[in-house]
Amino acid sequence: MRWFTVVLFAFVSLPLDAAPPDFDKQVAPLLAQRCLDCHSGAEPKGKLDLSRKAPAMEQVKPGQSAESELWTRVAADEMPPKKPLSADEKAILKSWIDGGAVWGTDPIDPFAATTEHRAGRDWWALKDIRTAEFGLRNVGIDSFVRAKLEAKGLKPSPSADPRTLVRRLSFDLLGLPPTAEEIDAFAKDPSEAAYAKLVEKYLASPHFGERWARHWLDLVRYGESDSFERNEPRPNAWHYRDWVIRALNADMPYDRFAKLQLAGDVLEPGNPDAVKATGFLVAGIHNTVLGSNKIANAAARQDELEDILAAVGQTFLGLTVQCARCHDHKFDPVSQTDYYRLAAALGGVHFGERTVDAPEHAKRRRDLSARLEAIGQRQAELETAGRARAVAKRGSNITGIASPTHRWSFDRDARDSIGELHGDLKFGAKIARGRLVLDGKQANVVTGILKKEIREKTLEAWVALPTFEQGGGGVITIETLNGGVFDSIVFAERQPKKWVPGSNGFTRTRDLIADPETRLNEPIHVAISYAADGRIAMYRDGKPYGDAYTIAPPPTYKPDEWHLIFGIRHTGGGRAFLTGEIDEARLYDRALSTAEIAQSFAAGPSAVGVTLDELLAQLTDAEKEERKAILDEQKQIRAELAGVAAPTPVYAVNPKPAPPTHVLARGSVETPKAEVAAGGVACLPDADFGVPKDAPEGIRRAKLAAWIARKENPLFARVIINRLWYHHFGTGLVDTPSDFGFNGGRPSHPELLDWLANELIRSNWSLKHVHRLILTSAAYRQSSAANPQALAIDADNRLLWRKTPQRLEAEAIRDSILSVSGQLNPAMGGPPFHDVRTYGDKGTKYYEPIDPVGKEFHRRTIYRFSPRGERSAILETFDCPEPSALTPRRQVTTTPLQALALWNNSFVLRMGRHFAERVEAEAKSQEEKIQRAYRLAYGRDPSKDEAALSAAFVAKHGLTAFARVLFNSNEFVVIE
Amino acid sequence: MTLSRRDFGSWTINGLGAAAFLHLLGRDATAAPKPHFAPKAKRVVHITLIGGLSHLDSFDYKPKLAKLHGKKLDTTETPDTFFGQFGLLRQSDWAFKPRGKSGLMVSDLFPHIAQHADDLTVIRSMTADSANHTPALYLGNSGFQFSGFPSVGSWASYGLGSETDELPAYVVLPDPRGQPNGGASIWSSGFLPAEHQGVLLQSGPSPVRELFPKEPQPGEADGRELLKKMNEFHAKGSGAGDLLAARMRSYELAARMQLAVPAIADLSKEAKETQSLYGLNDAKTRDFGRNCLLARRLLEKGVRFVQLFSGGPIAGSPRASWDAHESVKENHTIEAGMIDKPVAALLADLKRTGLLKDTLVLFTTEFGRTPFAQSGPDIVGPGRDHNKYGFSVWMAGAGLKPGSVFGATDEVGWKAVEHPLTWHDFHATVLHLLGLNHEKLTFYHNGIHRRLTNVHGEVVKGLLT
Repeated sequence: MRWFTVVLFAFVSLPLDAAPPDFDKQVAPLLAQRCLDCHSGAEPKGKLDLSRKAPAMEQVKPGQSAESELWTRVAADEMPPKKPLSADEKAILKSWIDGGAVWGTDPIDPFAATTEHRAGRDWWALKDIRTAEFGLRNVGIDSFVRAKLEAKGLKPSPSADPRTLVRRLSFDLLGLPPTAEEIDAFAKDPSEAAYAKLVEKYLASPHFGERWARHWLDLVRYGESDSFERNEPRPNAWHYRDWVIRALNADMPYDRFAKLQLAGDVLEPGNPDAVKATGFLVAGIHNTVLGSNKIANAAARQDELEDILAAVGQTFLGLTVQCARCHDHKFDPVSQTDYYRLAAALGGVHFGERTVDAPEHAKRRRDLSARLEAIGQRQAELETAGRARAVAKRGSNITGIASPTHRWSFDRDARDSIGELHGDLKFGAKIARGRLVLDGKQANVVTGILKKEIREKTLEAWVALPTFEQGGGGVITIETLNGGVFDSIVFAERQPKKWVPGSNGFTRTRDLIADPETRLNEPIHVAISYAADGRIAMYRDGKPYGDAYTIAPPPTYKPDEWHLIFGIRHTGGGRAFLTGEIDEARLYDRALSTAEIAQSFAAGPSAVGVTLDELLAQLTDAEKEERKAILDEQKQIRAELAGVAAPTPVYAVNPKPAPPTHVLARGSVETPKAEVAAGGVACLPDADFGVPKDAPEGIRRAKLAAWIARKENPLFARVIINRLWYHHFGTGLVDTPSDFGFNGGRPSHPELLDWLANELIRSNWSLKHVHRLILTSAAYRQSSAANPQALAIDADNRLLWRKTPQRLEAEAIRDSILSVSGQLNPAMGGPPFHDVRTYGDKGTKYYEPIDPVGKEFHRRTIYRFSPRGERSAILETFDCPEPSALTPRRQVTTTPLQALALWNNSFVLRMGRHFAERVEAEAKSQEEKIQRAYRLAYGRDPSKDEAALSAAFVAKHGLTAFARVLFNSNEFVVIE
Repeated sequence: MTLSRRDFGSWTINGLGAAAFLHLLGRDATAAPKPHFAPKAKRVVHITLIGGLSHLDSFDYKPKLAKLHGKKLDTTETPDTFFGQFGLLRQSDWAFKPRGKSGLMVSDLFPHIAQHADDLTVIRSMTADSANHTPALYLGNSGFQFSGFPSVGSWASYGLGSETDELPAYVVLPDPRGQPNGGASIWSSGFLPAEHQGVLLQSGPSPVRELFPKEPQPGEADGRELLKKMNEFHAKGSGAGDLLAARMRSYELAARMQLAVPAIADLSKEAKETQSLYGLNDAKTRDFGRNCLLARRLLEKGVRFVQLFSGGPIAGSPRASWDAHESVKENHTIEAGMIDKPVAALLADLKRTGLLKDTLVLFTTEFGRTPFAQSGPDIVGPGRDHNKYGFSVWMAGAGLKPGSVFGATDEVGWKAVEHPLTWHDFHATVLHLLGLNHEKLTFYHNGIHRRLTNVHGEVVKGLLT
């Protein structure tokens, strides 16, 4: 079923009187390829290790083959069991034994040389990239291509016509059809200079990155949901997709492009883009449903690592390293130890979201917040004075404090003494001694629903704890009605006896470095202020409790969608109830400053009641003016803060300390063998990273990145060159783009591959330089016309006697339909549009394709939300891959379901209507309309016959029906 | 045709340049895939139970378990279940009886299927590598615990092609309560070409998606005619020969599919007796009965592989699958009540029409359930957890020993002890019955000649006649 060329290293027959065969050159390769698959390694079959001299020689009597078990078993065809040795092979073995059985290198290195069955370290792809021999010779792509063609008696085809060339270039580089104007201009002046200019124009287009990022995302199986049982979406995965687009558009040097994807977070920790790049490591599937069994879960983690290793090895090295997880690679010189050294390098890679924040933005926010805090302090001083005067005037001893928007004193009931958020006592919650008494079982209080939006806020309470033998209970919580989003003052949730700002999924929670609680039965003052910029500060008894921090912006609690609860962390939470007595609780609709909170504490739980008007009446004019200036400045700073980019959650690598990595016999976590340090694959140079076994996680990946992305690694440049070639020509120089090993294809033009690899390195890894070389070659510009003579010699066109026609990919078809219908929304980047309906419950998600209408959904297909599971019929039938498997090369199939999808899909039909409207608007007579439709769809005028046929159809069925035919036609989807 | 025809699989290595376009023409004698040897079965219907059927309450008779009811399981091991609770041993909630001439023991959970005991080949020694739903489902359906690998149906389609131009080779009939977790990735063709993807057949005016436009369009027939002519004009100046021909033919086949699919999906022409045999007149059995009847009709028309799912999403309450953590009695009574009669009807109907002779019926589940209750350590709770160490599935039809039992679990039905089988063995046997050697049915993908059976699996000769 499979056909590929295998370079055979036949064993030379030996004349009988010759000297005994050389062990290293003849006997060791024979043993390696015929015996050592079973008889070597950690658990050799029959406990016989033939790769080592000592055990092997127990089976051999030098000079006496007939007395040697090794020979007698082989001579009787008992071994190897299924495929006995050939006569020539037997002759080598016998004459080696009879000639004295001198052992050479011990142990035998099975990877030393390529054999009939496997690649060795001398494998073509592992050899250094040829440089010297190209020298100063004036070579280019075409000289290599022509030489191969001539050797077969073939000639290159003439250049394609200008219209075909423009379409070819535009679809190839942008994934979109050219405009009629671009075609006309080039048809008028099809000069070399005009062509070069067109190439430059397309390479500089932002659509270039969108087109070529799609190829890259296929390769790394980029998907936006987890797969498996829950298949939860990853709403912040798109940052990686955008990073790839931007990097390709900017022609980021390829070595940097690779390094950032492997270790951007380590190499440039202050650069949010570098962190986004590591989305590569976690682009694949991830099971979030684990059972209770530790061994099963450890095995699942090994599976996950294998998937990551496969992606790294294939993407950047074209090596199927994952095949060496259970045993040495059967076909390539990758040992099981190599595999686990790579696993050690990547052993700290975990999936999830993390927050990125540009240092300059963080600083700006910090500065603005400090200023807010400072002027807030002055405001508090002014108001304190005013309040004190008002109180003095009233004859009371209350000192001044900030005014809450809601306050529950729990004197007689759970009423809100300022606003309308009156509380309901539930499940045994009661009021006693002027306090809300909570039993820690189910007692709690739920308030009414508020009609105002809140974002910035302060939660505050005085609470007495009768016991520390509790954890996870909330004192005061603001939450959405189902508890899905909440912020809460929580006692002892993750750290015993410590206060913590609780939040949904710990998204805004940080364990604070602060003292455990010591006060029993007496009220403790606790407060948390949440600033608009995401700064969260906790206080106890009026003093900061731990350091303030910023991890994620505060949620916006929308009108009618939230309430407060007391005594429970959040609705639906496990272990959520507080045992305690709340003396008083308050909510403020802004973040109080440290000074204000200190004052509030000092004033105590009952010290409110001075209205703002009363307070202002007590200020002098100068004080009023100063206060107004402060308020104005606050407003201005808040506006500015809102403009500074907030910390952004991105789906990227979440490194954790890597556990010790052991070679696992047969890949099983239950049979660990030697511990290994992070390292590379030994068939490539400098595989020893020189790091200890317990090296920090970040260093391991940084070393790996540096080892992979460099010119001394011949696979690194060769593999990417071949990928570029594959996308431009439809077939790679090596036709297995992610496998340069023994099972992969052999290069059709090995010298050309190396020459281009050199060009890449020489140009400081500029991919656009290589694109340019390819695009301006005559080979690329050839006509696609068939030639029976050439087809008979080279049907697959591996020698490039023409340009092979290509069918557009699913995404390019959809984008082209949008484009010619005048509906393409060119907005770049950002969160994806969803053309699926997401449904499911309890954390299990399903995705059903739909055809939503609106500008947002008319963006390019690369911006589509790409979950694992169902896809639209157009994507699925036109071979868009399921984003679980690495897809270096897409299938191209043609099926009836594909025809049905393009013929009947509601999106296609809808676009047909827009296409018709556009044609109506842009042309007058019926004849002009037909002509305009052809020019939009095909970039050419119709022939007379075509025009007549089309006109008759349009007259009968209209332009919309005609658009449907155009979109389905061969000329629309096949690029010559 | 100017290009040379090649062996079906060859293009995967030789690149997409030309030969890939021949796929559509796969039915042409020179390029159609052929079995490796004379097949016993030509088609498959695969009934997949989502959630985990309790073998102890259905096909694995364990009298000792009844004796040990309420005792502790005697082991020092920590079993790999899902929730990690180990209650006391629990006897079956249903009585077992010997059935038919073979005396095969089947419980009263499946009274109708039990009537066909003499046609069943029950495997009582299945094992799974995972006790976690979705990985276990992927494993049973594709040989791997992850998404991205071709399903059994896709491999059958790839290995044997289709016997009809008018219908997809691999058709999927989901439980009307919803798709299993993972959705379409369960019946994905993975890295195999898209034509081998499982195609959902659903109720409604367009049983296959995009079979018809949502609203009638003007010029349907004239449009196709114009498309053909425009393609003919275009072909004269194009170098894409075979690709163009394949695309043109795909529209002709699409038109035939538009007639064939609604005809298949229309069950009204079936005799009243047949409809009632499948339980279409009873709300409880109607949905699954409809799918079973559809399956027979599809198989008759040349569809290679039909997969029916019993059970929808895993999560949610009440349960919509066989995942009987809370109570086996309650859950399995409901689930079996929906499928017992329709499955029996399918067996009867296949036999009546003679199709069973060269049709393979598979009845499988993700894993079994534990002999001990899923409850506190001193309690016999009503539910059972996942059990990957030993469980039962059955096959029926072509080439199998009818009315037989293969393999055995230990005395309480916890672990397979006699002839333990893996999914790879099971898959190797299914392919074998289809005339395919599981070691030779390969597809090159990213450095590996991929197989349904990975690098494992042996044909289970003991199941075969």
